[in-house]
Amino acid sequence: MPDGSEHMQPYLDQASEASSSLPGAGVGWIDALRRRGTDLYGMHGLPQRRHEYWRYTNLNALAGGSFRLAGDPPAIKLPALPHQTLADVLSYRVVLVNGRLRQDLSDLGTLPNGVEVGSLQALMAAAPERLEPYLGQVAKLDDMPMAALNTAFLSDGMAIFVDADVSLEKPVHLISVSARDDGDAMVQPRHLVVMGRGASSTLLETHISADGGACFNNVVSELHLAEGAKLNHSVFQHEAPTSVHLSGTAVALAAGSTYDSFVLQSGAEIGRSEIRAYLNGPGVDCRLDGIYLATGKQVVDNTTYVEHAAPECRSRQVYKGVLDGEARGVFQGKVHVVRDAQQTDGHQLSRALLLSPRAEIDARPELEIYADDVKCSHGATAGDLDEDSLFYLLSRGIHPHTARRMLIEAFLSEAIGEIPVQQVADDYLNHVQQWLSDHVEERSDGASQ
Amino acid sequence: MALLEIRNLHATVDGKQILNGLDLKIDTGEVHAIMGPNGSGKSTLSYVLTGRDGYELTDGDILFDGVSLLEMEPDERAREGVFLAFQYPVEIPGVTNMTFLRTAVNAVREHRGEMPFDPMDFVKYAREKATDLNVSDDMLRRPVNTGFSGGEKKRMEILQMAALEPRVAILDETDSGLDIDALKVVADGVNAMRSDERGMLVITHYQRLLDYIVPDHVHVLANGRIVKSGDKALALELEKKGYAEFLEQAA
Repeated sequence: MPDGSEHMQPYLDQASEASSSLPGAGVGWIDALRRRGTDLYGMHGLPQRRHEYWRYTNLNALAGGSFRLAGDPPAIKLPALPHQTLADVLSYRVVLVNGRLRQDLSDLGTLPNGVEVGSLQALMAAAPERLEPYLGQVAKLDDMPMAALNTAFLSDGMAIFVDADVSLEKPVHLISVSARDDGDAMVQPRHLVVMGRGASSTLLETHISADGGACFNNVVSELHLAEGAKLNHSVFQHEAPTSVHLSGTAVALAAGSTYDSFVLQSGAEIGRSEIRAYLNGPGVDCRLDGIYLATGKQVVDNTTYVEHAAPECRSRQVYKGVLDGEARGVFQGKVHVVRDAQQTDGHQLSRALLLSPRAEIDARPELEIYADDVKCSHGATAGDLDEDSLFYLLSRGIHPHTARRMLIEAFLSEAIGEIPVQQVADDYLNHVQQWLSDHVEERSDGASQ
Repeated sequence: MALLEIRNLHATVDGKQILNGLDLKIDTGEVHAIMGPNGSGKSTLSYVLTGRDGYELTDGDILFDGVSLLEMEPDERAREGVFLAFQYPVEIPGVTNMTFLRTAVNAVREHRGEMPFDPMDFVKYAREKATDLNVSDDMLRRPVNTGFSGGEKKRMEILQMAALEPRVAILDETDSGLDIDALKVVADGVNAMRSDERGMLVITHYQRLLDYIVPDHVHVLANGRIVKSGDKALALELEKKGYAEFLEQAA
């Protein structure tokens, strides 16, 4: 057994004990899928450096932890969102507490015909056959150890189905709350989004903690976009500083579909967003953008894999972050272009601002190209603020802390400006401003003396 | 007491001696021009005066209203009323001109003990200043200098000067990259700022700018020191003869 898996064995045992009572138990393919998750995780163990996508983020902290598998969600109230502006976005609200749907906190209003939003658990019990073509099919479990672990515990999460040609005007807002549950909770939520041909919608996710307690949140989302479908997806992770938040998102994109993703990470001790996009048909447009804010000893990881499996697809990635204190950032991105994927247009860029001498970024942008007629680029920069810009602001009488702040905000707001929903962009900018006030301003003042 | 007095200024950049004992006095109400060939130390002078990092003063002093500027950071000098119009204004994507201007003006106003503008009042104030310089609302809303033409950038520099109302303004090669129409707009803006309360230092390679901003005094800078001073006729003389004579002399 490889290093690490034994640490999860108690949880795996817990899962298999519970498996007969988990939703969908007795449904052949669901039982088999859970067993596959257990087996694959048993083979991988807790991901180690030698795993290509886990080179820079170490999960050993989890190995020593004593997390309890979350049971029924604690009866907490919905905590305030980090910013009121986000709460004000008119949306269909889905609230999960420790991975379980809390109907009483959710507000789905009246969904239009052809749209279904609910809990995975309910669907597994009532109509598992609808899930079978997607669940465990989009995410490649054999190469995603933490997704395999999630699958071993497969029991609940959010499911969205949007029928062909249906356009959902208001966003669906998934508010995911981690709460202590008689100890440090381990949560393994599983989300599924299935967009029919030509369907379009916006999905917002806000991940927060109800209290300061430690939580291990291992989220897996599978998104399936049929021909011409369009999904805007904005994720905001601001969990308590003691928690570990791992997110694995797999996206299957059929011809002519559009996936526009933005991930803002500022919470958790270890925060990781891994996105794997499979561009399976021609004419796909895939954007993966994100920003991150980290301080103290936080680790924030953005790992992407974009597979151009068909010709004439476009992918763009821009990840920008600000690292202060002893924080460490990770960007690993691979663009893989198969031999037949001619006229691929693929770009990726990682830019990090290091505000303290002890902050660190590990950036590994990577292109793997087997087609010969492609336009691809990648790049990574890391450093301090631009000195010319800083002097320009100072020379106009602007105080050093304000000048630095203006430049940091400008650096991030460029990326935020790409978010298609204005209210969401405004909210994320609020968050950046708040974060900078809390973490950066005072220190820079001192440093300027 | 002079408004700005530069005494025996010696400065190095990357360990290389650029200024070699420069003396200059500017009184309120005066416009001085410093002319010199490339490499004579013109831009170094402007950066030393504004306190940029990397420009090391090895001897001499700079007195502003009798107080040394040397102990002041660049932003403090600016709030005290020292302004530099850059030869190459910096593009800052993500910060709008309006925000930039308001932040700067309010920092200076607070330093002077005046009430800062609220955003609405500031828009009025900025628009007033902008009209004379042919700066549109659209330009004010755009990010600082980003994608601006050479002429637009220089107009924004003068707008910043007008908004900040400095006591001493240093114009570093303000004519570079300008066609004649743009030059006139910029010069009009500068001339409108001439006042008994303010001194100006116009740094230029060419005499052309001085047709529009007519100086009271002209100085020739060569090899890091002032080698000749005179009135505006000196500029015309330089235009005819070039700098060769002074370079030989200084060498």
